Amino acid sequence: MGKKITVDPVTRIEGHLGITVEVENGKVKDAWSSGTMARGFEALLTGKDPRDAPFVTSRFCGVCYSVHQMASVRALDVAFGAEVPWGGTLLRNLAMGAQYIYDHILHFYHLSALDYIDIMAVAEYKGNDKALKAVKDKVIAMVEAKDTFPLTPRYQPDEFCVRDPDMVLSAVKHYIDALAMQAKARNMGAIFGGRQPHYQSIVVGGCTQYPDVNMVAKFRTMLDEQAKFVNEVYIPDVLAFGTGPLFPLAKAGVGGGHYNYLSYGGLELDKAGKDLVFPAGVMMDMDPAKMEVAPFDPQKITESVKFAWYEEDRPQHPYKGQQVFDLDRKEAYSFIKAPRYDGRSMEVGPLARMLLAKNPDVIGLVRKGAKPGVVARHAARAIETKLMVDACYRWCDELLAEMTKPGFKIHDTAHYEPPETGEGAGFFEAPRGALGHWIKIKDHKIANYQAVVPSTWNASPRCEKQYRGQYEESLIGAPVPDPENPINVVRVVRSFDPCLACAIHLIDPKTNEIRKFLVE
Amino acid sequence: MDPGPKRGDLKVKKLLGEISRRDFMKFCAGTAAVLGLSEVKLIAKMTEALAAAPSKPPVLWLSGQDCAGCTISLAGALNPPLSSLILDKLSLRYHEALMAGAGQVAEATYEETVKAGGYVLCVEGAIPTADDRFCMIGGRPFREMVEQAGQNAAAVIAVGACAAYGGIPAAGPTGAVGANKIIKNKTVINLPTCPVHCDHLIGTILYVVTTGKAPPLDKIGRPKMYFSELIHENCRRRYYFDNDMYLTDWNDPAQKNWCLYEKGCKGPDTYADCPVRRWNDGQNFCIDCGAGCMGCAEPEFYDGMSPLYTAESERSRNIMARKKAGLIPRSKEKV
Repeated sequence: MGKKITVDPVTRIEGHLGITVEVENGKVKDAWSSGTMARGFEALLTGKDPRDAPFVTSRFCGVCYSVHQMASVRALDVAFGAEVPWGGTLLRNLAMGAQYIYDHILHFYHLSALDYIDIMAVAEYKGNDKALKAVKDKVIAMVEAKDTFPLTPRYQPDEFCVRDPDMVLSAVKHYIDALAMQAKARNMGAIFGGRQPHYQSIVVGGCTQYPDVNMVAKFRTMLDEQAKFVNEVYIPDVLAFGTGPLFPLAKAGVGGGHYNYLSYGGLELDKAGKDLVFPAGVMMDMDPAKMEVAPFDPQKITESVKFAWYEEDRPQHPYKGQQVFDLDRKEAYSFIKAPRYDGRSMEVGPLARMLLAKNPDVIGLVRKGAKPGVVARHAARAIETKLMVDACYRWCDELLAEMTKPGFKIHDTAHYEPPETGEGAGFFEAPRGALGHWIKIKDHKIANYQAVVPSTWNASPRCEKQYRGQYEESLIGAPVPDPENPINVVRVVRSFDPCLACAIHLIDPKTNEIRKFLVE
Repeated sequence: MDPGPKRGDLKVKKLLGEISRRDFMKFCAGTAAVLGLSEVKLIAKMTEALAAAPSKPPVLWLSGQDCAGCTISLAGALNPPLSSLILDKLSLRYHEALMAGAGQVAEATYEETVKAGGYVLCVEGAIPTADDRFCMIGGRPFREMVEQAGQNAAAVIAVGACAAYGGIPAAGPTGAVGANKIIKNKTVINLPTCPVHCDHLIGTILYVVTTGKAPPLDKIGRPKMYFSELIHENCRRRYYFDNDMYLTDWNDPAQKNWCLYEKGCKGPDTYADCPVRRWNDGQNFCIDCGAGCMGCAEPEFYDGMSPLYTAESERSRNIMARKKAGLIPRSKEKV
């Protein structure tokens, strides 16, 4: 029996997460991932006007709000029978593009980077770069004032930490530069979204922001600045770290997991919806030599609640799931349910998407000997940020062409009133991975609402077959030489970009009512 | 805008580091007007206080039943930038989304900061009261943390609609309430809107650390400097409301500036300075993007404002009834 270590709270993530690991001979032998906050979103949506759902589900998460709006309006589009005009889709996609760019930059620099650098190495910088020296002086002034919050206290740097003063200093400078970039990317999104966080303009049937040429021009100009940062700073930083000082971490395969990957696919590049930024697909037990991709079948999704604070139930498709809330359940350790695909535990997110898309850069890294894990996740995220920048340019061009045509439309006005009955599923690829919302409408109101979000896939507890969730499995074998300093534990978990508030919202403790979700 | 006397210029530069005088002036202008101070005087006062402080004012940020949207909104600050605030101006002791440490390292910092006292406490998210287990952090009920941290705080700021009045979680089954229901016998400064506006938050923090007291508040704890006028009073679509011209089709360019009442706008019932301040560095805001105001600055948000995107709520009917009774004053006629 090894020593058990609990990291709670796991910080620099969205939401509340506790991780417990059992360490034996300096390595993680077993792991448990536990979501520790719930708000009861499903219950509060029941009985409401369906058009509230995108606004409310946006508040699942204040980091990746827009993708919930998107999955939600797509479910509503189906349920209302709305046909979104191409202009409406373009406006939505541009808003989503801004979300991706800000979100990935924020994750790398502000939520993750501090795990990989020994920030105090800046003191040894001997160079003459003016901007870097200014950053060095800032950090030294903080040290001299004996107030280095929030950069310390921290876990102690280990052998995988970058200590080269030039590299560390430039990373800290980019941390500061990126703070402005992520804010500006959100400002860019507000042009069509109304404001960020929490867009206001994304509604069933399309978008409410009537565009003009100036808006597109402004978006493009702001996009230029983002493109420059992504191409000249973000990607070079990730590649320099990933192929340089962090390559041993990649080679050691830290944070691998089950090597099963899933993407729902999404973000149309053309009106016909054939060309997508992210293709859908499934890969089981990844074999670097083969990289076989199977088609995605929504019917193979089930959810288990064996180890979650719900009454035991057979695993069910989300359409048919029943939930009985049970806070006193003995074996349970999480508010998060355990979704499985074909009974297997899957990874979703940038790494899954780039492997399934057979992105040459990511495949190249894998073939070089980097096992998909912590480092590959950061690389995949950076690479798809560039894909998203390119897609935004294309959408800007398309929008300009579209809006100058006679009869230009942004909304399906004929299908704005809620139907008496209806149902719909909305699938989307969020920055953190595969996202699905399901709605059922009765008497013009929401009869039931379900969401299976990326962090439900990744952060799930065990299922009834005892298969670990993806965070849990990824932690197995992670080096923890010092139980007081479990830095690799947070590195592995943060590489997924956890978003816990999303994952936990589907309970009704007041009524203890059995919630049925059936689609006839 | 005239940048003011040279002497002040140097002073501001020295004390505020990266923040340009122009940025800071822009930021302080609204605050100064409300206080009745000249801008120059206010800036001098603020910068003196920041300089006189022996160390950076400590800030303790607790997140409960939140979505982190208020943190992301804060991260949108460009004038002054967040980097300057968290590295130069404030000592951000505990903030789960931004701090380096985790687990016990984070816990220890929390304990030490609370013990030392004298910090600005920011609460993000609601607090569950139906059962403590709905929000546990480091094995402790969030409710207890808010209670404990509230006792030793120099000032308490409820950040966003959830922390102020319960927000969206209050419509759910966890008994979610705002911070002032947990922290008794102490002024809680409420900064509703969902999420918080970063100007409101930064301005309030600077006000508190500068003057050592809360800004003047309205009856429900909101700073008057941001929440004293109705959205409707400053709405650029008001002429169309007065003349019963309501947008019904988002595709029709002729209607694109019309009143959003039919689309559920609650502007006539909501106090906030959004139409003047706007969002995302002035880029846009709810009403300008064609979606209407959802009333997120009011305690009745969210349940009392639903349905949001149509005029079928009790609220909307009430607005129309008052309009018909002549109780909503007309703006000056369009020239």
